Amino acid sequence: MDFSDPARKKPEENLLPMINVVFLLLIFFLISARMTPPEPFAVTPPEARTEAEAQGEFTLFLAADGRIGYREMLGEAAMQAIGAARADHCARLDCTAEPPRLTLRADLALPAADLARVLPQVAGLGFGQIELVAQTGAVP
Amino acid sequence: MMRFGTDRPRRRPNLTPMIDVVFLLLVFFMLASRFGVDRALPISVAGSGGSYSGPPRLIDLTAEGLRLNGTPIAPEALAEALRPLTETPADAIILRAGTGADVQALVAVMDRLTESGFTRLVLVE
Repeated sequence: MDFSDPARKKPEENLLPMINVVFLLLIFFLISARMTPPEPFAVTPPEARTEAEAQGEFTLFLAADGRIGYREMLGEAAMQAIGAARADHCARLDCTAEPPRLTLRADLALPAADLARVLPQVAGLGFGQIELVAQTGAVP
Repeated sequence: MMRFGTDRPRRRPNLTPMIDVVFLLLVFFMLASRFGVDRALPISVAGSGGSYSGPPRLIDLTAEGLRLNGTPIAPEALAEALRPLTETPADAIILRAGTGADVQALVAVMDRLTESGFTRLVLVE
């Protein structure tokens, strides 16, 4: 005698709920993602307790050994590129009413004198306000 | 009547390739996006407009420590020492970076001064 259950059809796994969740995640990441241009080199920002948020439209990178980077360009080419980017930005928007801001990502080990040397060059390009990026942390 | 083939039973479309692509996109966006906003400290450049008035307020950053107008000072005492030298918090304070001071030391001083309410910090060579 055969008491086993009659051969049932294996229930097909319903994939739709998983697809729904995955699409939800995808849309979340699409909306919340802020695509940033590639960094020319790795920079560790100094630590500070400030709460102000960086608002600059342009980001200039300064490595610990004093190299200057903007997008993929280094050195003098980076300065020219950021100047060109500013001119391009000002052709679209009114820069006299609201001068564009510049964000400086300087490495924490960069000598401060080097930063002071770069600042007048950057200011000469016509940026209204310059800000220095810091990461949240305790000040030693 | 022409018949080009037999009627096949309707098949459900295979969802697996689509799920693969969606997962790929998901992983791409998870890895490529940067979350959180950067914190930043405003910094001024010498000669960028604005006038200087009042007694000298020059902070030297050296490898040994801080100096206010030439006299060594503890970082904690800086804000109190600057208060009699300024009329308003918007008065310019000059920061001069010497040898041996790195950006972290500079940012520590700027952070301290910004916290005390001073808004115009000027970095000079």
